[in-house]
Amino acid sequence: MTGDRVADRTAPPSCALSIKNLSFAYPGSDEPVLRDVSLELERGAFCLLVGDTGSGKSTLLSLIKPQIAPAGERSGSVAVHGHPVEKLDDAQSARTVGFVFQNPDNQIVCESVWHEMAFGLENLGTPPGEMRRLIAETSYFFGIDDWFRRETDTLSGGRKQLLALASTLVMQPDILLLDEPTAQLDPIAEKNFLHALFRVNRELGCTVVVATHRPHAMVDYATCAYRLAAGRLEPVEDMDELRAHPALPLASDPAPADAPTGETLTASRVWLRYGRDDDWILRGLDMVARRGRIHALVGGNGCGKSTLLSALGGALRLQRGSVRTDAAVTVLLPQDPRALFTQESAGEELMAWSGRLGYGKKEARAMLERLGLGACVARHPYDLSGGQQQLLALGKLLLAKPDLLLLDEPTKGLDQAARAEVARVLAGLRDRGATAVMATHDLDFVAQVADDVSMMFDGQLACTDTSEEFFRGNVYYRP
Amino acid sequence: MSQRCVSRAAHTAFSAMHPSVPACYLVITLVLTMAAMQPALIALSLAGGLAYGCCAHGVRETLHGLRWQLPFVALVALVNPLFSASGSTELFRIGTRAVYLESLAFGCAMGGLFVAAALWFSAGTRLCPFDKVMALAGNASPVVALMVSMTMRLIPRFVRRGRQIATAQTVNARALRASDALRDRLQLTTTLMDWGMEDSLETADAMRARGWGAARRTTYTRYRFCPSDALALTGLISAGVILGVLAWSATAQYAFYPTMSELVAWWGYAPYAAWMLMPAALHVREERRFR
Repeated sequence: MTGDRVADRTAPPSCALSIKNLSFAYPGSDEPVLRDVSLELERGAFCLLVGDTGSGKSTLLSLIKPQIAPAGERSGSVAVHGHPVEKLDDAQSARTVGFVFQNPDNQIVCESVWHEMAFGLENLGTPPGEMRRLIAETSYFFGIDDWFRRETDTLSGGRKQLLALASTLVMQPDILLLDEPTAQLDPIAEKNFLHALFRVNRELGCTVVVATHRPHAMVDYATCAYRLAAGRLEPVEDMDELRAHPALPLASDPAPADAPTGETLTASRVWLRYGRDDDWILRGLDMVARRGRIHALVGGNGCGKSTLLSALGGALRLQRGSVRTDAAVTVLLPQDPRALFTQESAGEELMAWSGRLGYGKKEARAMLERLGLGACVARHPYDLSGGQQQLLALGKLLLAKPDLLLLDEPTKGLDQAARAEVARVLAGLRDRGATAVMATHDLDFVAQVADDVSMMFDGQLACTDTSEEFFRGNVYYRP
Repeated sequence: MSQRCVSRAAHTAFSAMHPSVPACYLVITLVLTMAAMQPALIALSLAGGLAYGCCAHGVRETLHGLRWQLPFVALVALVNPLFSASGSTELFRIGTRAVYLESLAFGCAMGGLFVAAALWFSAGTRLCPFDKVMALAGNASPVVALMVSMTMRLIPRFVRRGRQIATAQTVNARALRASDALRDRLQLTTTLMDWGMEDSLETADAMRARGWGAARRTTYTRYRFCPSDALALTGLISAGVILGVLAWSATAQYAFYPTMSELVAWWGYAPYAAWMLMPAALHVREERRFR
């Protein structure tokens, strides 16, 4: 079985990945995404590939894996252990180069964990005996044995991503490519995942290449880093610069803590659960959001933040308690902006509610320009980047001139530029006297943008403080 | 009965055997139950189904099921005379139609047969749950098993996305003042479709990256077929054949019309009863071991 493997694990260190003068342009585009990129990685390297969304990180990674490479004009060479990647057949490629994608939900194929673990080996026609051994071994390595029989849909995001990693490694690839693997995870799940990845790298000697726009959590594990900008790849000399939390440019100062603002949203003694036999998700929760402020809700995965937002928006029937608001217009930005899209182009998307809200093409156009999406007017919403999608969804909601904006994970998976843009939109909203309540895992964003912070725990708000006060008091829970 | 029998049991009969064993038992039981139109045999099958239901699903849940099962038997019993006006013992007349005792009894037996079959189907979900059915299907056709698994994976995601869209719509519809529920529902479907298609592109990439279509598929087997399973299967099948002959002779000798044959004590009922009560007996034996 190991005969198809192109490299022998016991061989002395050699060049695991070698990219020479690689250039790539998408069809119909004169502007190449990659220009003359060269990269040599030794066996056992842990390489970070940084750069903003759209800088070509994903394209570069996918060119190492021809099975998923986009169509386009390509020149230069990519070789793994000295073998050109386009010469490897599908089975050899799966055994040599593993690929983990950003979205944990989309890359899981099967219904149960054991079947997902077996999927790749089944594809390769691995004999049953060897398959059992590989799956057993890999499950132990990742501690999957406890949830081996679970359904994949019932796993948390962090476990799903760990499963995606394990189900790739069960084929024992020599090189592992990961495209924004932690962008959809909360900070604790991110650390767990990175730790597993670190063990894969150091204990198994697997060469790892991670593309990311938020490298600060990974710097400690990396042995080298490269920055991709304007199609060119440059080594990062000073790794410490990747640790920084860059400041978000805010359009206005935070609201003064002692400003006499009234309450715009009051939830009192809210009890809620979904089914008759389910556990309570909200247990007598009290919450107050003040007018003209940005209120952040933080807390672990599955602590009920999204449920609370839905309840605040009046989309759920409470079993007990009440939610009162004086906001005339309340809107909700769902966790995935695609839940709001119904039209064929970004321009039409912003016009979708024009009849019902009474605004015209001019306002919609101005909104697109304000969000920096002017050039995208004719593009399909699904063809926009994650950050652009988020801004488009925000724009659609802002046209309703909301007094209360509820946001579910507004910065999930966004790069620095898009996060800054979301911060700017929220600050603009606050200047108008509107209120924002956002559920988020992005503590760095909270520290820089939010005025008030509540930590959710055990179905209640454990504490509510001004942002400064909150982070001053916290020992564990900080950016 | 202990507390354990009142609530749903975690482990049950045949659970330590290859899935083909409970599957074989269930198929034979269902065929016998549905083919044997003879009151004593129906009663035995019904008793077996109820006994196993009480063991596996709990007494209370099984008794709850009787709330629709008993009225159903009564309904079939009452409806049957309206369709078949045969028999010899006239009970009463509705208008010009006579209602005969035999016809009523046939209806009762028919209702009982339906309920027994329903009980055995529900027992099937415990004796041979979905993952075991899939394991059997996987041996027969790996591709079909994978397709079913992928579909089962899609359904909860679809529901979750739908809920997210509906929540956003509910909140935002109020902001839109002029609400248009019909259009919102239509758009929910469009959004759900677009979103699903978009995500499935990435799933396709993930499949290709893991060698989809690279070679002839093999199957990961979680259940191994061992000699004791072969022995159990042989036993079940030969017992099934004998019971089939017994049930056939019992049914052939019995008639509802024009007068009901008399039921007599017969040795052939004993093996039939033993077969029907087997899962309950196995379950009780399993319980005992851990007491």
